[in-house]
Amino acid sequence: MWAIGYDPAMRKQIAIVEDEPALRENYAAALARQGYQVKTYGNRKSAMQAFDAHLPDLAIIDISLEDEAEGGFDLCRELRALSAEIPIIFLTARDSELDAVSGLRLGADDFLTKDVSLPHLGARVAALFRRIDALRRPDNASQIVRRGPLSIDGDKMQTSWNGAPVTLSLTEFWIVHALARNPGHVKNRQQLMDAANVVLDDNTITSHVKRVRRKFQQIDPGFDAIQTVYGMGYRWVE
Amino acid sequence: MSIRFQLLVIALTTLVLPWAGCQYARELETTLRVSQENSLQAAADTIANALSAQAPRVFGDSDDSQAFDPSQGDLYVYSLHNEPLLDGYREDWGIAAEPQELPSSGLGARILAAATERHLFLYLEVDDSHFTPEPSDAHPEKDQFDRVDLMLQRLDGTLNPLFLATGAPGLIEAQSTVKSDDGVDHAAPEPRIQAFWLQTSRGYRLEARIPRNMLGSRVWLEAIDGTGLGRAGFIGADALRGGRLFMATPGLSDLLGTFIGPDTRATVVDMNSLKLGVAGSLTINKDEDLRAAGGWYRRFVAGDTSHWPLQSSAPNRLSGKSVAEALSGHRSAQWLRAGPSQASLLSAAAPIVIAGRTHGAVVLEQSGDQLLELRDRALTHLFNLTLLATALAVAIAFGVSTWISLRIGNLRLAADTAVTNDGQIRLDMPESRRGDEIGALARGFERLLSRLNEHTQYLRTLGGKLSHELRTPLTIVRSSLDNLESEGIRADQQGYVTRAREGVLRLQSILSALGAASRVEESIKQAERVRFDLKDLLQSAVAGYRDGFPRARIDVQTPPDPCFMHGAPDLILQLLDKLIENAVDFCSPAGTILVRLTRAGAGYELAVINDGPPIPPNVLSRLFESLFEHRQGQDDRPHFGLGLYIVRLVAEFHGGAAIAENRADSPGAVFVVSFPLI
Repeated sequence: MWAIGYDPAMRKQIAIVEDEPALRENYAAALARQGYQVKTYGNRKSAMQAFDAHLPDLAIIDISLEDEAEGGFDLCRELRALSAEIPIIFLTARDSELDAVSGLRLGADDFLTKDVSLPHLGARVAALFRRIDALRRPDNASQIVRRGPLSIDGDKMQTSWNGAPVTLSLTEFWIVHALARNPGHVKNRQQLMDAANVVLDDNTITSHVKRVRRKFQQIDPGFDAIQTVYGMGYRWVE
Repeated sequence: MSIRFQLLVIALTTLVLPWAGCQYARELETTLRVSQENSLQAAADTIANALSAQAPRVFGDSDDSQAFDPSQGDLYVYSLHNEPLLDGYREDWGIAAEPQELPSSGLGARILAAATERHLFLYLEVDDSHFTPEPSDAHPEKDQFDRVDLMLQRLDGTLNPLFLATGAPGLIEAQSTVKSDDGVDHAAPEPRIQAFWLQTSRGYRLEARIPRNMLGSRVWLEAIDGTGLGRAGFIGADALRGGRLFMATPGLSDLLGTFIGPDTRATVVDMNSLKLGVAGSLTINKDEDLRAAGGWYRRFVAGDTSHWPLQSSAPNRLSGKSVAEALSGHRSAQWLRAGPSQASLLSAAAPIVIAGRTHGAVVLEQSGDQLLELRDRALTHLFNLTLLATALAVAIAFGVSTWISLRIGNLRLAADTAVTNDGQIRLDMPESRRGDEIGALARGFERLLSRLNEHTQYLRTLGGKLSHELRTPLTIVRSSLDNLESEGIRADQQGYVTRAREGVLRLQSILSALGAASRVEESIKQAERVRFDLKDLLQSAVAGYRDGFPRARIDVQTPPDPCFMHGAPDLILQLLDKLIENAVDFCSPAGTILVRLTRAGAGYELAVINDGPPIPPNVLSRLFESLFEHRQGQDDRPHFGLGLYIVRLVAEFHGGAAIAENRADSPGAVFVVSFPLI
């Protein structure tokens, strides 16, 4: 139970909003094992009541909640209104919802399909907390990777293109990070999945890459640094 | 048997109408015949009764006690209306009868007798080519010359021997033989009896006129050849045998004429069936007239008359069953044939009974053709109408059946093509708005198709739904396994967890395959088209496949220069994935898969060729249907018949098409996807 060695008093509190009790309990058990204090909620109403009283340090929200097909989105919006900084992870049952999330720009820090394994989930949660910590610490540039107009801050998990910040989700960040670290090397889908601490099918990787490109293109319409190598994967070209 | 033919046969059954008409016409004819028979018989009875009341006007005073015997020289005397000229020709007699042959010994001769109220006329033809004239001042008993001897029975019964001869042909008088005192015989003229001697190439003719007042009831006559001594005829010295004159009763014809109507012939015969008087005439149609009037179908309807006896045509007597019956005292009617044709004749005879004894008979004859005409007119009408009706019925049946056939044909065609090759179902049927049975059938088809469509839609979305719905429980299982492992398990329990994970992974790949089509459909909706080099894509993709399928040999052939096209490379890549997976599955172990890109017109043609077993021809066109699976081999991975469907979806998204065919040159199959440039 005390594997990570956090001080119980300092334990981070994680809220899981998930209408499927079995999944909810599994996630809760895994995260609790890593030393987090976990609160679980089955629907938007009870979750929001609790959030109004006390904000958690991180929220994992299922998109469809009981009878509300997009109740997670509403909850995210309300939660974001309460706090601009709290990390939010979306869990979705469907691949197609990923696009909806990115389109809505709800300010989620990451979104995962429910295929994600528990160790991966733990890695993500840890990474997000690490980023929070890094943001709170004074700047140290040691972790910054620069590739032409691209700069990546590995600690804060922030990306910028020509100096303009690119808001990437955690998964997207890790994909970009994996590609940009070794420009010209082809990363196949499996390598990208490993880098992103996620188990996804090929299509989902494709749509993640597509979304990353789109986010860069919003800043620089001429962006084409991520190249598809058909049948093999992707590579970063400078 | 097509509907058209069936209805045609049904329509042809209206031909039973003319047949029924024929039957009716036959019955009508029978009825008409019977009624004609009855009425004619009644008329004959009436006339017979009327005549029996005035016997002298009917039978004159002839003695019928002996039967008429031409061989004994009995003569039937026709009645003449006008006195003919004595000129050796009988054409002006107006009698159709031929002269009657005389009993002959070495000389041929024929005689015909006729009478007016005042004279008896005799017409004689003698075949005597050598004319031996009577010498002047002849001795009739000794001299030999051509002569005709006459023996007249006077009214008082005594005999009056006369002869006719001449020195020169022309108008002559009869002569008698007188003996002078010295015993020499001379010829003395008898000027009351005149004759005309006409010499012909065959012999001579004699037309003689004898006043009735010189004559009793008998005449004997004999022609004698002056050279050959041949004779013909009789000279009877016996006043009781032969030579009788059977005369028609004068005035009887006029009397009869008052009894009968038009187109009827009345004849009174004596006990010898000889005609005593005839009145009226028959109009008997010629055969040709009848055919023309009655039409060809007469032969189908006419009653069989061939068993009827022929009408006897003797001019001087009547014969036949009805006459014989009447003469034996019974009324009788009979149908006769008037000739070899269909013309028929009704003969009704009634006995004339005087004082309980039958003296003769009245025979009425009427043409049966009036009946036929009546029948034919009705029948022609009937035939024309029913044939018209039949023709109309056949035409209508043909039209209706053609119409129905066309409609059913339309429906059949629509039903055949309702499920298209790409698995789409057309829901609207022709004819479904009609209120009749075909419309109901079309609506039935529509309902069936709509159910089939619902079913197919359900099946099509089932994969996606299943993969979605099973995902959550699968995640529960996997996250529970994660937890279980994290909690720490004993080493001997680890095996189970590992196996459970393997099962989960397999289940996940199954779900992934199951949802592949709906994912592709989804991504097609969101796909963006970009310009890219198809050749480049192929080459790098094939390089990837060589890694992915190390045991397969994959060759690639492309045009030398870049092949740019506008499309979704991700989708093309998925298409290629499916084609290569399919080819690897079917390729023989040491075989080669050839990926060939060629320019085809304004577009490209991508062929993936394997050398596996050929595809059965009936399967070829269905390979690209959704949920169509045809695999003989067994392997671990699940197949839901979606791979090639995805190929088709992607090809169609690019405006192209996918086809499969067997290789012509060697075993194996070719999958060709065309990409027109758009």
